[in-house]
Amino acid sequence: MPTDQYLQGQLAKFLVRTQAITALCILLALAGLDFFFPTNYRLKAGIHGITSISALVLGTYLTHRAYALIRGVHINFHSLRYWLTGAAAVNFLGALSGNWIYMRYRGQDGPKDWILANVPAFHNYLMEFKEFISLFPFPLMLAGSFILFYYGDAIRARRDLTQLVGILILLAWLFLLLGFVAGLVLAKLRFV
Amino acid sequence: MSEHQSPEEQSQLEAIEQDPLFSGPAIAATVSLLLGFYTLMITHHISRLSKEMDKFIHSYGYWIPGSTGVGPDGSIGSYAGKEALALLVWGLSWTIFHLLWRKQDIPVRGWLPIFLGGLLVVSLAFIHPIIDPFILLLIDVFG
Repeated sequence: MPTDQYLQGQLAKFLVRTQAITALCILLALAGLDFFFPTNYRLKAGIHGITSISALVLGTYLTHRAYALIRGVHINFHSLRYWLTGAAAVNFLGALSGNWIYMRYRGQDGPKDWILANVPAFHNYLMEFKEFISLFPFPLMLAGSFILFYYGDAIRARRDLTQLVGILILLAWLFLLLGFVAGLVLAKLRFV
Repeated sequence: MSEHQSPEEQSQLEAIEQDPLFSGPAIAATVSLLLGFYTLMITHHISRLSKEMDKFIHSYGYWIPGSTGVGPDGSIGSYAGKEALALLVWGLSWTIFHLLWRKQDIPVRGWLPIFLGGLLVVSLAFIHPIIDPFILLLIDVFG
């Protein structure tokens, strides 16, 4: 490989990682500051915010890898396996903490009661959609991780399977983004 | 491949040619998650039919911490039962399909449009204004 091409490849890799880490740090402030909000549920809110934002940033980073899988170019499957499994684990924590904060959402005089009394469509349509599709990214990413571990490096020979993993990553990202935006809208409307 | 293959990669590819891969396990992993999502959707709409049905679905999730309780701290209610049933269907169907299909090569490109269509339908079925006319129709037909 010519030296220039190698250096540009290394530069792109460095920039992709820097972009993801920078985005993660800045976005974490969105939820990190929840820890200082004047509510008894600040810990639950902060933890759910931090895990879901981390899941979104990890998922977005993985979409860079997904396009490489779909195009069929040479990629490092060893690293991708662990990145995807890590992202699945963070998504699981996001869903777990989502269940935790959902208790207060449904609690007496919680956001659900307020929303139903004032703008019921946000609960009846948006929350009823969000609470289920937010569970989708974890199984999608787990299936992708399973496929990468099960077939090992031999998966290189099967473009259809690598494309399937790429599509699973893109789908997980789509549902992550939908759940994230819906959750943010609901939190803006009535915080716990 | 956009780059030259190393001797190690070439030997890996040769080994792969001798030992064909079966797509069955990958299909099993994706079929089962779709079945899990449909379980979430179906149990959700069953729980909306009446208080009794909601309690019935809820009862499958009593083992989940925070599934019951009232007051400011609340609980996740029948959502626990929907999650528990979805987990059960997902896990069981994955195991069964994996064992059935581990030595079968199922066309991945034939499955993909069905998988994507299935995901679109299940997502839309969580939007009440879209799905409710169909549920009312089903109630009319089956009483």
